[in-house]
Amino acid sequence: MSRTLVTLVAAGCLAASAAAISGQTPQRPDFTGVWTSYTEPGAARGGGPGRGGGPPLPMTDEAQKKVAAYRALIGTSGDTPGGHCLGTGMPGSMLGSGGYPMEIVQRPEQINITYEAHNEVRRVYLGDRIVPMADRVPGRNGHSSARWEGDTLIVETTHLVEQVEQRYAHSDQARIVERYRLTTDKNGTKVLVAEMTLTDPVFYTKPVTDTKRWAYVPNGHLLPYECAEEGWRIHLEELEKKTKESK
Amino acid sequence: MKHLWSVLGAAALALTLSATAGAHHSAVQYDFGKSATITGVVVKFQAINPHMRLTLRVTDDKGTRDVELEGHSTNNMYRAGYRDGLIKVGDKITVNVAPLRNGTEGGYMVAAVTANGGRFGVQTAAERAREREKAEGK
Repeated sequence: MSRTLVTLVAAGCLAASAAAISGQTPQRPDFTGVWTSYTEPGAARGGGPGRGGGPPLPMTDEAQKKVAAYRALIGTSGDTPGGHCLGTGMPGSMLGSGGYPMEIVQRPEQINITYEAHNEVRRVYLGDRIVPMADRVPGRNGHSSARWEGDTLIVETTHLVEQVEQRYAHSDQARIVERYRLTTDKNGTKVLVAEMTLTDPVFYTKPVTDTKRWAYVPNGHLLPYECAEEGWRIHLEELEKKTKESK
Repeated sequence: MKHLWSVLGAAALALTLSATAGAHHSAVQYDFGKSATITGVVVKFQAINPHMRLTLRVTDDKGTRDVELEGHSTNNMYRAGYRDGLIKVGDKITVNVAPLRNGTEGGYMVAAVTANGGRFGVQTAAERAREREKAEGK
């Protein structure tokens, strides 16, 4: 071992010991803030493979049949869950949530990610806040826990429900691992890189990966996204009509 | 406002189509490669999600009729300059739309010129192409 290496190791141990003695947690990157879809300097906006784009996915026969049946049902209508006020769900939410911004609020034991579209919220628990597997409630965004590996946040999501309409359709056995880290581009823009690996023995023969980049929005704000008002208004109109007819 | 157009143009259009399009009337029935303008008097306007709704009373040499339109989400339009109260019933406005593919009157509102001449919205691919051609001196 070279003298330089010995010196570095010793310094690292000393720093770790000092942190342990003082009771401080290691300094972590702070992802808090509003983020929007990142575009490389000079690149066209709104890129990405989108629905149906990109190379063929390594789907099992069962998955291919389910997705084909779904697409046949939708036909040329172009219907989407979002068009009916249903949230994007994972992994669509972490891969862009329809192009709307997201907001991260970070505490050491919990990170909340709010996607503007449909006011979708993911709560990511760390350490003692992590919920036991048996107590988790399945949903379109599943249940997420996380840990740090140096400056990278590793988020694991389980308890997803089957979603055949996703760009990466998956079963309820899917498990998604996201790796979040901060970088800065050549223009000085703070960029949050989110690498995703989806494993699903029911829908895929091998893991599926994708990467999403988010650009920091200085002093950004999310807007409220109410979507069900029209459905409620129509319901009230029908109720009024029925009431009048019954008199 | 022009700044908003340039910043939000393609991105807002792409994002609206990518996930929250679909809607009550799906965006696939609109041709976003084309653009058209419709002028009329506002009969009904709803700044809602996932898509704005607008009914315009149009009068021209074909007569007078009500034209139903939908458009980008209120959130996307807000980021493209829309603010509460900019469109009111009775206003005469002009909207820029991606027309229906089947040729029926109507379309998907991507931008509007309000009664007082204010403007909000994003550009269609056809408009961006025209601007590009203009900039290139074609």
